[in-house]
Amino acid sequence: MNVAEKPVIAPDSLIGQRIQKKDAPEKAAGKTRYIQDMVVPGMLHAKILRSSRVHARIKSIDTSAAKALPGVHVVLTAADVPDQQPIGVARDHLPLKGERVRSQRDEIAAVAADSEEIAEAALKLIRVEYEDLPVIATPEDAIKPGAPLIHPAPLDADGRPQALPPKTPIAFAGKADNIAMRFDYTHGDIAQAEAESDVVVEDTFQLHYVTHCCMGVSGVIAEFDASGNLLMYSNTQVPFLHKREFAEYLNIDPSRVRIIQPPIGGGFGSKLDIYPFEVICIFLARAAKRPVKMVFTREEEFLASPTRQPVLLTLRSGCKKDGTLTFRQVHTLHDNGAYTSWGATTPFVMMQTFSSLYRVPACDYHTTVVYTNNPYAGSFRGYGNLQATFAIEQHMDMLAEKIGMDPLDFRLMNAQDAGEVTGQGMTFKSCGFKECLTTAAERSEYRKKHADNLANRDAPGPVKRGIGIASMLHVGGGAKIYPSDGCGTILKLDDFANVTLITGASEIGQGSETVLSQLVCEELGLPISAVTVVNNDTAITPWDVGVHASRTTFIAGNSAIGAARKAKAKILAAAAKKHGCDEVELDLRGGFVIRADSGEPLVELARLMRNLHFSDKAELVMTTFYYEPPSVHQDKAFKGDVSAAYAWAAQVVEVEVDTDTGIVKMTKVTGTHDVGRVLNRLGLEGQIEGGVVMGQGYALTENLIVENGITRNPNFRDYKLVTAPEIPEMDITFVESMDGEGPQGAKGVGEAPAICIAAAAANAIYNATGVRIFALPFTPEAVYRALRGAAPKPHWQAWKPE
Amino acid sequence: MTAIERYAAPQNLDEALGILQQGEVTILAGGTDLMPQTKAGRIAFKPTLMNIGRIAGLKGVTLDGEHLRIGALTTISELLRDPLVAQHAAVLAEACDHFASDQIRNAGTLGGNINNASPAGDTLVPLIVLDAEVELASKPNGSVATRRMPLAEFFTGPGRTKRAANELLTAVRIPLPKPGHVARFYKFGTRPALDISTISIGIAGIKRDGALTDTRVAFGAVAPTPVRAPRTEAALEGRRLDAAAIEAAADAARDEVNPIDDVRASAWYRKELIHNMTRRMLDHVAHA
Ligand SMILES: Cc1cc2nc3c(=O)[nH]c(=O)nc-3n(C[C@H](O)[C@H](O)[C@H](O)COP(=O)(O)OP(=O)(O)OC[C@H]3O[C@@H](n4cnc5c(N)ncnc54)[C@H](O)[C@@H]3O)c2cc1C
Repeated sequence: MNVAEKPVIAPDSLIGQRIQKKDAPEKAAGKTRYIQDMVVPGMLHAKILRSSRVHARIKSIDTSAAKALPGVHVVLTAADVPDQQPIGVARDHLPLKGERVRSQRDEIAAVAADSEEIAEAALKLIRVEYEDLPVIATPEDAIKPGAPLIHPAPLDADGRPQALPPKTPIAFAGKADNIAMRFDYTHGDIAQAEAESDVVVEDTFQLHYVTHCCMGVSGVIAEFDASGNLLMYSNTQVPFLHKREFAEYLNIDPSRVRIIQPPIGGGFGSKLDIYPFEVICIFLARAAKRPVKMVFTREEEFLASPTRQPVLLTLRSGCKKDGTLTFRQVHTLHDNGAYTSWGATTPFVMMQTFSSLYRVPACDYHTTVVYTNNPYAGSFRGYGNLQATFAIEQHMDMLAEKIGMDPLDFRLMNAQDAGEVTGQGMTFKSCGFKECLTTAAERSEYRKKHADNLANRDAPGPVKRGIGIASMLHVGGGAKIYPSDGCGTILKLDDFANVTLITGASEIGQGSETVLSQLVCEELGLPISAVTVVNNDTAITPWDVGVHASRTTFIAGNSAIGAARKAKAKILAAAAKKHGCDEVELDLRGGFVIRADSGEPLVELARLMRNLHFSDKAELVMTTFYYEPPSVHQDKAFKGDVSAAYAWAAQVVEVEVDTDTGIVKMTKVTGTHDVGRVLNRLGLEGQIEGGVVMGQGYALTENLIVENGITRNPNFRDYKLVTAPEIPEMDITFVESMDGEGPQGAKGVGEAPAICIAAAAANAIYNATGVRIFALPFTPEAVYRALRGAAPKPHWQAWKPE
Repeated sequence: MTAIERYAAPQNLDEALGILQQGEVTILAGGTDLMPQTKAGRIAFKPTLMNIGRIAGLKGVTLDGEHLRIGALTTISELLRDPLVAQHAAVLAEACDHFASDQIRNAGTLGGNINNASPAGDTLVPLIVLDAEVELASKPNGSVATRRMPLAEFFTGPGRTKRAANELLTAVRIPLPKPGHVARFYKFGTRPALDISTISIGIAGIKRDGALTDTRVAFGAVAPTPVRAPRTEAALEGRRLDAAAIEAAADAARDEVNPIDDVRASAWYRKELIHNMTRRMLDHVAHA
């Protein structure tokens, strides 16, 4: 166990306060300059021609008329960039498609012109001849024997597969089946655990497409200087990984790539991979020898930015009569779409939930990720955990009902405690799971309402009330996926005791600038206004792996604290020397060096800084720190303590179901989160509220409708984000488990709040109506059909794979 | 995109009708349908774009004898706030309360909603059950001619009406309600604001001794145009609104409509909604 003592909080401490986000005034005033607002002298505007077919061979592309249009500078097709390299996790994706298109979003040509309008007009002049190929619209079809291949191997002149060197990327070598990836994990003896079970349930769950809907759509500006160095203004969440990868695609030294991030209008995981548009924009800039800007339209954002991973999931769960869980067996089919991005790797997170949310002696997890002609999924806040939790938390209720146990008691009985090591090797240091469950249940009067609703199910009137609970486990101390999961900080104080905090951690709206400033100020005894954060330029900031895995507060926070403590040590040493005392007798508070015991101010910090600077020794206070969390990489069997801390939550959802229409109204969400420690209460509440609404959208309204590979609703009219009047009442509370490794005891929480909502909503609808729905989303028509018994249960023969 | 060759902003009706008479004119009111539709390439501008927004005579709500007269340029926001509308055509204001968002309501006009002729246009169903007429003006041979037509007969298909190219819709006229008049509107959208109707229902009539007479029932978004529902009306006309009558009317409604499947809903679900919500509305009328 590694749990810290919760210190007595000094009255002037910033920890736990409600601190306004540093960038809030600019954003509220409309003054923030996003990439959309940026103008680089001499820049051209770019547009991409996308496929008008879902799956086809490209017979010819004629760009002559587009090239002839006045104002057009460059038109590129695959033929113009013979050096292009495949992108993506599986290296199966060429940015410009020359021979074959595999999905509606596929890029065929790109234009850079004097204006967006001219570029748009030029696209209309490009003629493409296609020869349609059979469309694979479902993952089930993709794995049928004899299914057409999405990435067939190229043939030589005699029609034989070309001989290619080993390790040739899939984009060139093809793939002999439609299976993009597999994941297999096991602990314990499933057969024995099943034999010991009194009750076993098996169901198939179906999770749909949703997408991030960032207010700031994708965009990039690329330019080369006279020496061939690449500068990109980019919305990426992972600037340092991109720097390296772009260099690889361009075959240049990574030091020659510089990425500057203008303020980012939301990420949620969507800006975690490299996409064709970015590479294409670089190609255009290279060819035009001018800066080139490319910003998506909203429709394009719907069509060509990634989705959340859709999943077909069969789950078997067992328990004993006394309420002990015995085993879980999971098989999922992931629709990979035509190319592989991070969505394919969501099993990393999904299996954690199955193996480790509750104590389960045996767990068997399998995922098959298959190519289809659908859109491809990327990473999205929660990273597979919404999908896994949807299944597992419904089964918890179903098992409890079968053995006649209260669903809350059943959860408490199997919930993890601090000190536990799971079958997957996760070690729970701080763990407030049970307290989350009991707190959320008590505050929402879960037990009473659950019983009352059951009793009222058959009362007259079309509207039924329901309450449901779900819980979650997610990484809260980074995730060691890359060789390093660290973050660097450079910190300097000026002559007036103002701090510049140079951090590798990107701000994507989550509030990292504010919380990092707060942590630094807490060490140095300064007001939050004394800190300027520099965090958006790879030429300046030290390395960070990127914004993902709910890691920034934890990792970058520890890094910032490390740098601040070094600065503090320097300052106190200098003050001690000057005032002839021991540095342990001193502290920093309220902009002064003070005596630690009496609080008596000794010298103003700004004055001390000037004394240091303009003395004979002429010193400035500048420090650096690199924090690497004490987590480990998983082994090949997916075992290992991958995060330095784990976050927990329980959420209770209350609904009203109108049985005449199927409308589910979410009336209240009671959520309790183990956040380790509350740092910025305002920022934390904002994260939770936003996450709850995102979870609500996933559960009830959002649905990217993809039919035969075609996205039917690429607009906000028919893709329904939750609007303000639909947002439920929220009661959010925090459990402070004081993580021993966390910054001031805190753990990551960015992804957590979205995870439970759909699962809890499913349980609430069941509580209200007695109807269990296994497929998302719970749109009115879907719910109405289920209530009328007119919705077929999702089905998949997962247990008898060929 | 078609090039607009001429932009006209006439100050009065006479001038506007003169421009219309010359032909090849696109009429612009609030632009909340026109702009998205032209941008998406679904309709093309004609060479002349005529903004009718400055014609004072097309604005405002007045009493005209036994009729309420609503100028074509009256915005959705104005309908929501207007005391005469509240008094004589409250169901129209109710529909406006489910219409788009404040920004769109401030710009969008009644004339635009009618002429856009969407089967899901939210003012159409309440206007139809209120027996509204449209007033059309033109200037065929130098002088202004006006004709009137029941709104229920005005629509010929999605985006199509009986308005001739040289005509401007000037106003809507609604007979003042008789004693005992009741009217209800229901819009099914999946959210409280900013939603296109999946279906909508209007019911009106004179309620006396627990029965409806002069019954009007109309549905939106279940056919190429908003439609009246004669068989549902017949099932209700003069019958006491008891459970059996209500169920019979709801059944008739479901059988009478012939909706389509689209991204918003399936035909089956639309029919179910028509049934269930007609029943619910009639329950409310019966118990009011
Ligand atoms: C975000 C959004 C949400 C919306 N939500 C709703 C909704 O909830 N319910 C709903 O019903 N509609 C909705 N609409 C559609 C639209 O706002 C309404 O139909 C509105 O009433 C149109 O009025 P307008 O003045 O803007 O029309 P315009 O766009 O100016 O015109 C519409 C059409 O009518 C013609 N026209 C306009 N006035 C006249 C006239 N006096 N005589 C002859 N022809 C004329 C125009 O030439 C054009 O063809 C929405 C639109 C948007 C953009």
